[in-house]
Amino acid sequence: MTRLARTSIWPGIALAGGVFALCLLVSLAFGPASLSLGEVWHYVTTGPVQGDLPNAIFWQIRLPRVLVACLVGAELAVAGVILQDLFLNPLTDPYVTGVSSGAALGATIGIVLHLSNLPWMTVLALIGGFLTLGVVWMAARRRGRIDIFVLLLAGVTISYLASAVVTVLMIRANQDMYAIVYWLMGSFSGRGWPDVEIALVAVPFMIAPLFFAREMDILLQGEKRALELGVEVERTKRVLLVTAGVLTAIAVSVSGIIGFVGLVVPHIVRLLVGPGHRSLLPVSLLLGASMMGIADLLSRTVIAPNEIPVGVVTTFVGAPLFVYLLRRGRKG
Amino acid sequence: MSTTRPRRGLAAVILLSSLVLAVLGAAALAGCGSDASAGGEASPAASASSAPITVADGTGATVTLQQPAVRIVSLAPANTEIAYAIGAGDKMVAGTSYDDYPEEARSLPKTGDFANPNVEKIASFNPDLVLAAGGIQDKLRSKLEQLGMKVYVVDPKTYDGVMTDITNLGQLTGSTEQAEKVADTMQMVKDEVQAQVASASRPVTFLEIYSKPLMTAGSGTFIDDMITLAGGANLGATAGSGFPTFSTEVLFKNDPDVYIADSGSMGKPGDISKRAGFAELTAVKDGHVYVIEDSILARPGPRLAEGLQELVKMIHPEAAAAQ
Repeated sequence: MTRLARTSIWPGIALAGGVFALCLLVSLAFGPASLSLGEVWHYVTTGPVQGDLPNAIFWQIRLPRVLVACLVGAELAVAGVILQDLFLNPLTDPYVTGVSSGAALGATIGIVLHLSNLPWMTVLALIGGFLTLGVVWMAARRRGRIDIFVLLLAGVTISYLASAVVTVLMIRANQDMYAIVYWLMGSFSGRGWPDVEIALVAVPFMIAPLFFAREMDILLQGEKRALELGVEVERTKRVLLVTAGVLTAIAVSVSGIIGFVGLVVPHIVRLLVGPGHRSLLPVSLLLGASMMGIADLLSRTVIAPNEIPVGVVTTFVGAPLFVYLLRRGRKG
Repeated sequence: MSTTRPRRGLAAVILLSSLVLAVLGAAALAGCGSDASAGGEASPAASASSAPITVADGTGATVTLQQPAVRIVSLAPANTEIAYAIGAGDKMVAGTSYDDYPEEARSLPKTGDFANPNVEKIASFNPDLVLAAGGIQDKLRSKLEQLGMKVYVVDPKTYDGVMTDITNLGQLTGSTEQAEKVADTMQMVKDEVQAQVASASRPVTFLEIYSKPLMTAGSGTFIDDMITLAGGANLGATAGSGFPTFSTEVLFKNDPDVYIADSGSMGKPGDISKRAGFAELTAVKDGHVYVIEDSILARPGPRLAEGLQELVKMIHPEAAAAQ
């Protein structure tokens, strides 16, 4: 784009980075076990120690959980940006491609087969997500090109199909029913370092879209216009769709299905920094991570020792913020 | 049920949450209701076969039969177990897909599964007594009663409440003696256990119902009551009533002496050390991690007595060994 846009992306990114750093600190500093700030600092500086229970609370319980929450938030936000702009549809969220429902089906099978305490459930969720992506992809491919509208419809249809199967399994699985329901609601409770490792796999996929920022900007004007301007439309679509699919599958496989972040964070960021992808993508990544971190902080502290489902918190935090920004955006 | 597509985020979550509440009342518990001490007053003339039999169930509702039931439909595995234990097994005409104890209950005709009993199907058996559960089946009662069926809700909040339900069902099925025997055995086990732990300390005990998210048995549940009877201090009772989620950080902060998991949540005690940080817990270090079979802990029937004996072995191994 213009030189002005090129020079003005950094303040926004720096500010978002600051917000994220603050959210990360707050999330780590507070928790239901009420370690004092001094204690937290002590554990940070001493590192993980065997045989020290409060140290384990910080290093084995709180830190990995916060990291997983932030990573999942970032993954969903980036996937949301990609899919909204590819589908040119503001109501799109990372779950429309059917990937999440496929992942949910995989996880449900894991629960029903009592593989729930092993990494198997995550593996099955990933397999379910990728299989769905493959099916939707095949459905939408015609003479070497991907029809975005067919893809959207196929995704929604597969979504419903997978949900129906999940429901059937749920009814058949008496003892496991609540486990499935809780998984579908999404949660970061009990997530540890293995989950962080899985979520970290998504980092290259969060960065990859940045290299397609220019193409994504042009695609906003429609595929025809993009072709005229020399964009390799099909290749770009392929890369971006797979990227969004992988991000969603990984996010869902560690956290279950958490709504609102992938839908609303991209919109909030567009209102703040505009539609240009060189700033939209990194700022969405950082604010997605921030929002999920804070949502999980509230989820584990507000009614401690109980927990509020994190999906409820993302909605309660996100909805008023979004409405406020929408109104402010109109006036400006 | 709701779809997995959270476009309608809040509504879906609320829907799911209410479902979860219902399911918790059901799957984990097989019922929870109000105070069970209200139940259990048989009419003085109950023994005379011609006089009507009247008892109050766990919800406080009165159930009156003109004569002992001969066609019983059970809507929960616990109810089926009670019916067979009190010698009314031959009067059972239908059970649920989950009935697995005693063995012959498996071959009963089914009314559907626990969460989705089919009203038409229930009516087709033409029962003179339907044994329902609380929680998820609350709405079912009025439907069944509109169709002229008699419904007794088994919904105990305490170990004693289960005994009350058993004697009440004895009245309703004309198996008073056998029911008294079953209740007496439960009472005997309880007295025995009470004697074992009378002078013992009360180790802080955590009971895991589910691990992701971590869920426990809160106050006002018969599981909480059983932990207390077995001489433990239930950490879950600090998190409220029913089956609440429980913060892992708070679990660590309180560092329980004994960690017991329902078999529906953990396969074997060794699994716990695979969870990040759990090796630091006192219960894990001292080897006080146990897995208890779900059907003798979470199913409010006569086998709770076995569950209680198991709990004492886990919470007070020294007292149980001295016996």
